[in-house]
Amino acid sequence: MNKIITLGIALALGLAVPAFAQQDPIKVGTIFPLSGGAGPDGQSVTNAVKLAIDQLNQAGGLLGRKIILISKDDESTPAVGVSRANEMIAEKVDVVIEGWNSPVTLAMQPVFARASVLDITAVSKSDLILSGDSNPLAVRINSSNGFDAAVIAKYVVETLKAKKVAFLTQNDVYGNGFQAAVEAEFKKLNFAGEVALTEKFAFKDTDFRVQLTNLKSANPDAIIVTNSSNSSGLPAMVEQYRQADLKSAFVGAVGIMLPTVFKVAGDANNGIVSADIYFWNLPPFSAIPESTSFVAAFKKAYGVEPDKSAALGAAALQVWARAVEATKSLDRKTVAEAIRGKTIKGTVFGDATFLPNGQLQPRYVVFKVVDGKTAKLEPVPQN
Amino acid sequence: MNRLESSSSTTMPVLRAVGVVALVVIAFLLPRLLGGTAIAYSTLTTIAIFAVMCYGVDIVLSYLGEVSLGHTFFWATGGYAAANLSVKYGLNGWSTALATMAICISAAIFLGAVTLRTREFVFSLVTYAAAVVSYEIAFNWDAIGGSDGIVGIPALKLPFGFATYSGSTQEDLWPIAFILLLLTLGFIARFRRSRLGTTALMVQMNPALATSLGINPRKVRLAVFVISAPITGLAGWLYAYQRAYVGPDMFETYFLVMMLTAVVLVGRRILLGPLIGTGILIAQQNLFSLGGDWNKIILGSVLAIVLIFWPTGVVGLFGRFRKNKVAVRGGRLTKTR
Repeated sequence: MNKIITLGIALALGLAVPAFAQQDPIKVGTIFPLSGGAGPDGQSVTNAVKLAIDQLNQAGGLLGRKIILISKDDESTPAVGVSRANEMIAEKVDVVIEGWNSPVTLAMQPVFARASVLDITAVSKSDLILSGDSNPLAVRINSSNGFDAAVIAKYVVETLKAKKVAFLTQNDVYGNGFQAAVEAEFKKLNFAGEVALTEKFAFKDTDFRVQLTNLKSANPDAIIVTNSSNSSGLPAMVEQYRQADLKSAFVGAVGIMLPTVFKVAGDANNGIVSADIYFWNLPPFSAIPESTSFVAAFKKAYGVEPDKSAALGAAALQVWARAVEATKSLDRKTVAEAIRGKTIKGTVFGDATFLPNGQLQPRYVVFKVVDGKTAKLEPVPQN
Repeated sequence: MNRLESSSSTTMPVLRAVGVVALVVIAFLLPRLLGGTAIAYSTLTTIAIFAVMCYGVDIVLSYLGEVSLGHTFFWATGGYAAANLSVKYGLNGWSTALATMAICISAAIFLGAVTLRTREFVFSLVTYAAAVVSYEIAFNWDAIGGSDGIVGIPALKLPFGFATYSGSTQEDLWPIAFILLLLTLGFIARFRRSRLGTTALMVQMNPALATSLGINPRKVRLAVFVISAPITGLAGWLYAYQRAYVGPDMFETYFLVMMLTAVVLVGRRILLGPLIGTGILIAQQNLFSLGGDWNKIILGSVLAIVLIFWPTGVVGLFGRFRKNKVAVRGGRLTKTR
C-alpha cells in the first residue's frame, strides 16, 4: 500500500517537472551571514545566487539536471561556519559558494578541502584565502587588496598627476595594509612626488578634526582615505572634510563608498573619487546582456537594484555552472582547474578571466560622485 | 550539596567502578554508535573540546563563586600557541601543549595576583578587561596573525618515541579529544575531594571560618584560578588542530557565553554538569537551530532565566521538587556531609 502511494507521488512529481524527472538534482550550497549586523548583506548575496540558479533552471538546468539551493547562516562566526560546513558535506553538496567575513572563510576552507568539496569564495577579501595552502584549489570572485591598491595608485599618479600625496589611514591591518600596498605601487610606477603626511585614526573614531587640520596645513594634491566604518565613521569624516574646506582631492579606497555613506552624508560626498568592480548602471556593465538581464530579474524579485556583493554571488554561480558545462563534470579538481587561469564567458562581469591562483581579474570603474544625495556617479576616464 | 556523589557513595565501590568503565567505553564508541559518519565524529569532537573549555570556568565559578569573563583569553592562548609554534617552528603536539600550559599558568598567576583583592563584580570586570585588551593585541599584531589569523595549521603530531600518532581527520582527533576530556574529568573529580577543593569551598561559603582555621583566602583563590587556566588553554590547543585555523574570533563572546551557559545550565558543582550542558547547547545549535538571531536570543534568555529563577541549575530545580515531597512526609533531607 505504502509503495503504491510512493509510486503515485513520484508519478505526480514526474508529471509536474518532466524535464528533470530522470536524475537527482545538483546541490549548490551557500554559507553567508543571514543574521546579525552583516545579515542583510549575506541575504542579498544568497538571493543573487538563488536568482542565478532560477535563471539556469528555466533554461533547462545544468547537464540536464535541476539545481537546488541549500542555504546556511554562518552568523559571521568562524566556529558556526565550521559546523555549517560539516553539515554541507553531510548533505553531499556539489559546490559551496561562501564567504562574507575573511576569518569565516579561512576557517571553513580546510574543512571543505579535506572533504574534497569545491568551494568558491564570493566576497571575503583576505590575501590568505588564495595564498594559504589550506585550499590549493581556491577560487575567489571579489577583488584582492593588491589589485585595489594598484588601481588607486595608478589614478593618483597617472590620471590626477599628483605631486604631493597624503594618507588618512585606519589604524589596523586593513588600513595599514592598504597604505603599504599603495606605497609599493607608487614605487612600481616610479612616482616622482612625495608622501607628505600620514594621519591615522581608529576604526571606531567619529571625530577627525585634528587630523583634517594637519592635512589642511600640509595641503597635498590628493588624500588617500581608508575607512571601513561605512555607517558612522566615514560619513562623519566626509562631512568634517567639507566643513574644514580642504582643497585636496578626496580619494577613497576601493569599495568604501557604500549606500549608507550616501544616505548619511548626502551632498558632502560630491567630488569624491573612488573605484569599484561592479555598477549595474555604469559601463561596461550596463552593456553586458548577462548583467542587464540579471539586474532586471533581481529588481523584479527583490525590489532593489543589485549591488556589488549581489553581483559577486551571481557571478560565482555562473562561473561554476559554465565550468561544469564545459567539463561535463562535477568533480572538484576538474571544475576548479577549468576556472583557475582560464577565461569564463557569459557572467554578470562579462568575460571573467581568472589568474592561475584562482583570483578573478577585476575590471575597475574609477568614478567621481556627481550627486551624493541620489548616489549619482560618473566614470572617470583613465590614462 | 552533592547529590551525584552522595547517591553513588552508597553503592558498592566495585559495582561503581564497573559502571564507570562501561560508561567510558560506551562514550568512546558513541560516534560509531551514531553511525560513524564524519559529522558524528566532528560534532562529538567539538562537544568534547568545548566541554574541556567549560571545565576551566567551572572550577572558578563552582569553587570560588566568581564569574571569570577572562577565560576566552586562556582559550585563545592555547589556540595561538598551537598555531604559531606548529606553523612557524614545526613543533609537535607535546611541545605546543607544554607551551600552552606554561603561558596560561604564568598569565593566570599575573592576572590572579592583580585580581586577588577584587571580588564578584570587580573580579568579573577586570578579567573581562584582560580579555578585551588581549583581543585588541591579537587583532593588531601581525607577528602572531593579526586580524586575518593563522592558516595552514598542520595535523596534530604526538610522537611516542616508538611511533607517532597523527590526528589529521576528525576521526583521528576524536580519541585525543576523548582522552583530554577524561583527563579533565579525572582531574576535576580529584580536585573536588582535594584539600584545595574543600578549602576553596569553605573560603567561598564561610570566609570567617576559613580565616579562623588559619587559611589564607587569597592564596586559595589564586591557586584555584591558576589551575583553571591550563584546562581551558588545552581545549583551545586542540581546537586549533581541529579547525586548522586560528584567528582573533577565539576571543569572541560566542565562546564566553557558551562557557558560562554550559556551566550554570545543569548546575554548579556537578561533575558531569558542564559536559551535559555543552552537549545540550551544541545539539540545539546544530540539530534544532532556529536561525542565528533566535539561537542567540535563546542562549541569552536561558542564561538569564537560569540565573534568576534557578541559580542551582536544572538539577537544583529537580531537587526542589524532591525537597517538597520529602517535606510532605514530614522528614528533612540531610544532604550535607
